[in-house]
Amino acid sequence: MSILQTIKDKVRSRSIHVAYVDVGSCNGCDIEVLACLAPRYDIEQYGIFVHNNPREADVLLVIGAYTHGWEEKLGPLWEKIPEPKAAIAIGNCPISGCCFNRRGSYVDPPVSKHIPIAAEVPGCPPRPTEILNAILSVRDAVFANWEENHS
Amino acid sequence: MKHTVDVNIPLGPVHPCFKEPARVKCETKGERVIAAEVELGYMKKGIERIMKGRPWQEVMFLAERVCGICSVIHNMVFIEAIEQVSGISVPPRAAYLRVVANELDRMQSHLLANFSYCYTIEHETLGMYLLDLREQVMDLLERLTGARVTCAYIIPGGVRFDIHVEDRAFMLESLARIENDLVRYAGMFESGPMIALRSRGIGILTPEAAERAHAVGPTARGSGIAVDRRTEHPTYRKLGFTPMVRNSCDNYARIMVRFDEVFQSIRLIRACLNDLPAGIIRGGGTCSAGTTRYSGEAPRGELTYSITTDEYGRIAEIQIQTPSIMNIEACCHEMIIGVDSVADVTSTFVSADPCIACTER
Repeated sequence: MSILQTIKDKVRSRSIHVAYVDVGSCNGCDIEVLACLAPRYDIEQYGIFVHNNPREADVLLVIGAYTHGWEEKLGPLWEKIPEPKAAIAIGNCPISGCCFNRRGSYVDPPVSKHIPIAAEVPGCPPRPTEILNAILSVRDAVFANWEENHS
Repeated sequence: MKHTVDVNIPLGPVHPCFKEPARVKCETKGERVIAAEVELGYMKKGIERIMKGRPWQEVMFLAERVCGICSVIHNMVFIEAIEQVSGISVPPRAAYLRVVANELDRMQSHLLANFSYCYTIEHETLGMYLLDLREQVMDLLERLTGARVTCAYIIPGGVRFDIHVEDRAFMLESLARIENDLVRYAGMFESGPMIALRSRGIGILTPEAAERAHAVGPTARGSGIAVDRRTEHPTYRKLGFTPMVRNSCDNYARIMVRFDEVFQSIRLIRACLNDLPAGIIRGGGTCSAGTTRYSGEAPRGELTYSITTDEYGRIAEIQIQTPSIMNIEACCHEMIIGVDSVADVTSTFVSADPCIACTER
């Protein structure tokens, strides 16, 4: 591993910027993501910052079962995130559609059909600690050695 | 919108201050906003269509997932509508436990709404204090119902679990601590000069305008209209409930109404736990055919379910009317118009506590 890569890994492991996008959930997962900000879970002690700005994000948290309103919006949003990047599906909805995936509904799950998903956190809704754990594991699995793996 | 405008500013759908996707389109002249429009359609899942033709056992869980923040009240209103159709009565202990679960849910929802507002006006310290307090309320909710969000606690004829003696003691002790902290935080909000600059006199919603836009919940109560469906609920009436009202009609009044209601919820829970009647928590009954319309007070305002059931307890027809749609209308047609800067648009929008998932379903 080159010295440059070591430095990049070192810096990146303490600076993960997170954006979240709700593509049609019931709001339950949204508030659990928001609860990660609380002093009890204290997401910033791991060097994770929630900005909700796709242009400076590394990790995109996708919440919800993908409604038709997002057809022309989620793809461009994903394109705006600079490399290296990873998307995490939070909750059952982006994985399977959960209880909304029935005949007659207006959802089109899973989200992995539309953008590449790196990790999935099942649960309706998952606990904040599980969301935190997923972000931390993506950090190690996707961002470590990224330049050498993709050269 | 036929005004002479300088710039057309869209906010959203992905915005740092909004939890959920909504687009607010503002027409501005200088910094002054002269017209605003809220564009929805990012969250429409068609949940009422899924509900039709399904038995109440399934619809009960779907009703909770209309809105994750106020899931307990959606559960409660749907189940009480089913009970009204079928003539099922609730044991007194269960009726009190329902109030406890509902008020805990209201507390966490209001604390989250006030956190969002503080975050939007960039007062992150107070926001984090409130979010920490909310986690303690979530602990109580989890102890009582077994889950943090979407707990499915209320079922026809009663509630799912009884409250243990040690949980009751823990809850009373914890509520005292929460109240103690909240007095300090509400005082910080009430007397903070910087907060007052961003909140007082901004986003004015006069009582006439609130009536015209059919504003409900804390948005209406911040404008001096004493409207609250809890005054008609039998258990709340027994507890001597009166709605909280503030008269200054601005963002500050709406946030302070929420703080007042959290204190009121603490008092209601304490009253419930102190004279909790003994007895069973779950009676019996059969769900039968009928049509009814039933309303309850969600944290954001009046929530109405109109349901028609068939003889097997299946839902033939269902219409849900959620509070946020009226508040969003009041927000974009009355409150945002005339705010002095674009920075106040987001804080005014958040002060009405819009829940897009409820609105679009």
